[in-house]
Amino acid sequence: MAPPSLTRIHPMLFLQSLISGLLTGGVYALAGIGMSLVFGVMNVSNFAHGDLMMLGMYMAYFAFTLLQIDPYLSLVLIMPVAFVFGYLLEKILINRVIHHPHQNQILLTIGLGLIMSNSALLAFTSDPRILTTTYSSSSFNILQDISVSIPLLLSFLITCGITAVLYLFLARSRTGMALRATSQNREAAQLMGINVSRMSAIAFGIGTALAATAGALIAPTYYIHPLAGHSFLLKSFTICVLGGLGSVIGATVGGLIIGVVEAMSSTYLSSDWKDVVVFALFLAVLLFRPQGLFGKKGGQ
Amino acid sequence: MKQTLISAVLLIMAVVLPLLVGENPYLIGILISVLMMATLSSAWNIVGGYAGQYSFGHAAYFGAGAYTTMIMLSVFNTNPLIGMAAGIAVACLIALITGSIVFRLRGHYFALASIAVAEIVRLTVLNLGFTGGAQGILLTDVAFFGLDMNSKNPFYYGMLFSLALTLAITAYIHKSKTGYYLQAIREDQDAAASLGINLSFYKNKALMISAALTSVVGSIYAVYIRFIDTTAVLDLRMSIEIILTAIIGGVGTLWGPVLGAVLLVPLAEALRSNLLGSVMFKYGIVSETSPVGIFLKDGLAHAHVLVYGIITVLCILYLPKGILGFFRRGK
Repeated sequence: MAPPSLTRIHPMLFLQSLISGLLTGGVYALAGIGMSLVFGVMNVSNFAHGDLMMLGMYMAYFAFTLLQIDPYLSLVLIMPVAFVFGYLLEKILINRVIHHPHQNQILLTIGLGLIMSNSALLAFTSDPRILTTTYSSSSFNILQDISVSIPLLLSFLITCGITAVLYLFLARSRTGMALRATSQNREAAQLMGINVSRMSAIAFGIGTALAATAGALIAPTYYIHPLAGHSFLLKSFTICVLGGLGSVIGATVGGLIIGVVEAMSSTYLSSDWKDVVVFALFLAVLLFRPQGLFGKKGGQ
Repeated sequence: MKQTLISAVLLIMAVVLPLLVGENPYLIGILISVLMMATLSSAWNIVGGYAGQYSFGHAAYFGAGAYTTMIMLSVFNTNPLIGMAAGIAVACLIALITGSIVFRLRGHYFALASIAVAEIVRLTVLNLGFTGGAQGILLTDVAFFGLDMNSKNPFYYGMLFSLALTLAITAYIHKSKTGYYLQAIREDQDAAASLGINLSFYKNKALMISAALTSVVGSIYAVYIRFIDTTAVLDLRMSIEIILTAIIGGVGTLWGPVLGAVLLVPLAEALRSNLLGSVMFKYGIVSETSPVGIFLKDGLAHAHVLVYGIITVLCILYLPKGILGFFRRGK
């Protein structure tokens, strides 16, 4: 394969990929933050995260087709439902392996993910669905010929709003501070009188809510399929490791980077290879900076 | 002594089994699947069970064997054994690269990195031209020392041989110095390192042996089915199925993975072929046209992975050491 010639690196094309990459990256960041929060507070890699996203996609789809609720408006409904679902999932199942070796936690969440995706396969069949709103394919132009997709822009703005609220919650509220304390040192937090098992359930609830929200936000611009979670799971992991497992700021930056890297490799290489580039980046991070961009400790 | 005797009896039983079954290609097919999963899971057990390094990317080695063999056969028209040898070389190369990257990492990072490597292998094979891309590779005819390759028996004995080889190697490692080192690494890496065990050398050694054996199974599978694509041999689901089989039987035990395969593969086959549904239809318990009947016929046949998920969750919660581990604890 010949290297892309310099003439192809046209400033407008570059800007176009940068903008669409950042917009998609925002939604990825939301999913990444959810996973990172769970990792930080519970020290559990959640392999069901992608499937929780898939459930969010279907919730948005059915809210739109059955209840005629706009996918963006349906978030008001999806977020609390997903939070309760995640909270209960932690209380009933995940909680029981929190002191087990990592591989048992991974296998339990893989099992839960398989149950979710295959139940969805049974209930909703394997036909891909498309959520078509009146504005699904609409866009506007800036700087002459750079087009900005309206659903992606809306998703990005909502993501920014949710992320800002989450930051405030973690920084200012009592529960937020307790979550951060648990994330820093579980034993010490427990000695200070924090109910760490409740914090785990809250963290998993928030993680699930963020995954479902990311799924709902991406639903109008993506195929909705029971096995769609698979690729999002690996993407979320890449984002978390890139930003540093457990770091919320890291996951935000990581999400944006992955979005841009994906868009750039689609433009300058080929869309077939974009996932390979993302995973190669993932391995490079593990090789050269295993603690990630914003990580606290070495690669343990 | 008792172990050796039991192994010999089991081996003789396995050798004569096809003669008892007679010319029933369907049953032989299921037996081949059982042997295949037992071998894959036993090979994974060397690095996952004994060294405690849970590789979530073993599909890459299986696929390396399958793809290398198929390419050698279809392009160069070589003997399948040469294809198998080339497959082992490719699998060992991937294992060496993977090992040098991921063995410096621990816990979550190791699991994630092994998935990333396997996904890179899958996507590369999917996007390259000479691997057949999304269409896969189809082989119309194959010659192997004048054997009747349309019969399933050669493949049964091929799989049986690789299982016996894998178990023999596992038993040997278990008793050897390497085996003690690997178990020391599994129990406490830092303590093992402080005693002078070269961590990355022994982890890489275990992974190479495991990868080579996995790739042998991939080669036999490819020639047996004569069609491969990335979904069949390189998918993450393949890696997960290999681990689940070992977990359910008992990780870090010689016979655990075999027991897991003996239980899981026929169960998956029964679900896929809708055994429960057919029996219920036959005795008129459920009508074929009723909603329950339609669910059994159309739904459950596609849901064997759902059952895998449920078994995994139950197994991790109630039998984390697997069936053999559970009984060993009882002793």
